[in-house]
Amino acid sequence: MTKFKIDTRETNNINVLDLKGYLDAHTAPELEKALQALIDRKQYKIIVNCKELTYISSAGLGVFMAYIEDVRKNSGDIKLSNMSSKVYNIFDLLGFPLLYDISKDEVEAIGKFTVSRK
Amino acid sequence: MTRFRTRIAKAVTISAAAVSLACVFVIEIIEHSLGSYGGWLSLVRESLVVAAFLFFYLFIESLWKREQSPAKKLGFALVLSLVVVVGAGLLTLVPASGFDVKNLVLDPLGYDVIVWANVYSIVIGTMSIIVLMLIRDIIFSKRRKGTRRNFLVFVVVASVQALYMLTLRPLESTLVNTVLLVVTVLAIVMNSFRLSWIVYLSKREKLFSIVYGFLLLAIFIGFDILTFGSMAIGKSIAYYSPVLKNFITSVNLFATVYFGMTFVGTLFHLPTAEAFDRKSSEVSSLHNLSRLVTQVFDFNELVDSVTTMTLEVCEAKSSWLEIMKVSSSPSNARRLLGGVRPVEEEIETVSRKNISIEDTFAILGADGASIRKLALESRKSVVIDEARYDKRTQHLKDLKNKFESMVIVPLVTHEKVIGILYATKDMPYGFDRDDVEVISAFADQATIAIENSRLIEKSLERERLMREMVLAQDMQRRLLPQQIPSLKEVDLEALSTPAFEVGGDYYDFAMLDDHHLGVLVGDVSGKGVSAAFYMAEMKGIFQSLGRIYRSPKEFLSQAHAALATTIDKRSFISLLYCVLDLRTGMMTIARAGHCPLLHVSNRKGVYRQPTGLGLGMGSVEFFQRTIAQEQFQLAPGDIVVLYTDGLTEAHPGDGDEFGYERLRKVVEKTGERSALDVRDAIIAGVDAHMHHESPEDDLTIVVLKWRNVQEVEHPPHPGERK
Repeated sequence: MTKFKIDTRETNNINVLDLKGYLDAHTAPELEKALQALIDRKQYKIIVNCKELTYISSAGLGVFMAYIEDVRKNSGDIKLSNMSSKVYNIFDLLGFPLLYDISKDEVEAIGKFTVSRK
Repeated sequence: MTRFRTRIAKAVTISAAAVSLACVFVIEIIEHSLGSYGGWLSLVRESLVVAAFLFFYLFIESLWKREQSPAKKLGFALVLSLVVVVGAGLLTLVPASGFDVKNLVLDPLGYDVIVWANVYSIVIGTMSIIVLMLIRDIIFSKRRKGTRRNFLVFVVVASVQALYMLTLRPLESTLVNTVLLVVTVLAIVMNSFRLSWIVYLSKREKLFSIVYGFLLLAIFIGFDILTFGSMAIGKSIAYYSPVLKNFITSVNLFATVYFGMTFVGTLFHLPTAEAFDRKSSEVSSLHNLSRLVTQVFDFNELVDSVTTMTLEVCEAKSSWLEIMKVSSSPSNARRLLGGVRPVEEEIETVSRKNISIEDTFAILGADGASIRKLALESRKSVVIDEARYDKRTQHLKDLKNKFESMVIVPLVTHEKVIGILYATKDMPYGFDRDDVEVISAFADQATIAIENSRLIEKSLERERLMREMVLAQDMQRRLLPQQIPSLKEVDLEALSTPAFEVGGDYYDFAMLDDHHLGVLVGDVSGKGVSAAFYMAEMKGIFQSLGRIYRSPKEFLSQAHAALATTIDKRSFISLLYCVLDLRTGMMTIARAGHCPLLHVSNRKGVYRQPTGLGLGMGSVEFFQRTIAQEQFQLAPGDIVVLYTDGLTEAHPGDGDEFGYERLRKVVEKTGERSALDVRDAIIAGVDAHMHHESPEDDLTIVVLKWRNVQEVEHPPHPGERK
């Protein structure tokens, strides 16, 4: 099984999580920890870059749902970007595009953060 | 019954002894009044004395307690003999008439002497019997080959020596008599080296034994003098019964020699007493711990025993045990390592003895300079002989009075330190090499016990989960329809493969009224008991609201509203719901985040995917606003396939998913065949795609085929008429 990996980086006060690999029930806790760590540090502007994400299961989707409320309450957001069409389909099937901001790429997502700030 | 019998026996023996002694007294009075001694009357009297003391012996034996330690028996002998010797000594001060010695025969000068002679003889004789029994028990406490035989030899020789007096006058002495006395002394010497029980006494008991031995030696030397032939008591007993007199002399001699040997022997054993004590407590502690290895169901009890026994084996002042916490996942461990206090967070003090938690922290130091590190790094035991001058502990300035020496032993298994055992003493050089070796051996045992305890805990946990899983599987199985409705308008087939664990797939059918069939397929996120729970809730919602809200969009909105309050915010249920009008073949569908529906008409398949969020996602209002509904007409022979993502996402090892295209093609190819054939064709397709491996996820397929109404042989039932 392909491993799952998360890298966190920060640009312009915005935190970017790079997801790589296979996000399922076994690896979802790692994403959860990464998001929790950001929230603990009061970092609410989060972009999840899904460029190298090959698969996401319902447990993985559930992680985003668990944190979105908290983040938005603190006038932040979790924006998703760089999805492959396959991964987008999974998000789309569940109606994620209705609830989440899904951008083509990171620049667009960052742009949306800066716009909403003004 | 037996109790009654022993009571009777006791009563008989003591009364027999009393009667015999009374007779003896009467005979003595007669003899004295007649002024003649010897002859048959003397023989009768002697026989009665022997019989009386035999009965005494039997009586005492019936009351006897054998289970006391040798030291206690010595104490008892001491008290008894001290009372008797003091009592007898004081009695001799009372003026009495005394005896006239004529021709080696003792003639009392007054009746008072006869009374005194009786008292002395009975008391001292009884004491001798008891002392002999005590010595017997002490010798027998560490019995070896010949122990019993040697003791019996003494008893027999002493008895023969005593009984031989029946043929002599009270003060007569012959060569045979002397020879027998020598043999008795030999028997005494032979028995007096039976001192191995001393070795097994604790140091405290040994100290007592020395004192007891010495006092007993002194007392019995006193007895030997008092009962000597020329002394008043000696004369009295010799007058009373020469046989008894000789027996008492033998026993007293035995007691004198044996207690003397006890005193000397214990004195020699004293220097090694401490070492012996420690060895025996080590042995018993190790024995206890090796037993503990099998009793590992209570972890707290186990670690408590470990520290308690550490104190015991090396007589330490305090001891405590730290255990490495088992981190639940590697990422957790990594997070802890990256944390602020890397080591402290992973170590837990599980048991302490005679030391406060603050002191343990203070001794170890909170930072990296901790002496714990020494053991962690070397994985070997660390000894600090003089904390005051040791470089490794010099930084602990204010703790010098808390401990002076210390041992730190890591518990190592499979190259991993699972815990650390500490012991301290408040004297420098408190732990010698033996101590350290014992604690290390002991730590090895503790390691095994702790490991076993953890393994058992894990396997119990696993067992519990397995039971829970079986329960959930069973629940899930019962939630799925037990029967597929058999209708003439539609051909229905369904299949839900049991997943490896408990999956979240759900499907259901319901006749909403006479003309409307509701078909529901869903997937609950997550697995196990929580999935089964949400599924049960979903079934309840469907069975109740399904008949009330006929439009799929309406139903899903209501279902979402019902679920929104109970569902965990990271869980959701994806659903596809269709309602088929059995009169017209009009199908209405709505989708809540579920896989699209496949509609194959005239060998051409289309996926229908109206918009809709998964159940449990978003607010009630938002959900309602975004969900769409779609309606389409089924033509005779049309096939509708509902499924879960376990089908489209089924993939063999290389990762290529079965996908929508393959599914569509399989169904398009089956053409005019029955729903059952379509279902089997799909399964065969997946199976071939998977190279006959079983899919990871659970997988559900519901196939619905709209029958060509003209093919229906039976006339339509009344409800179908318009």
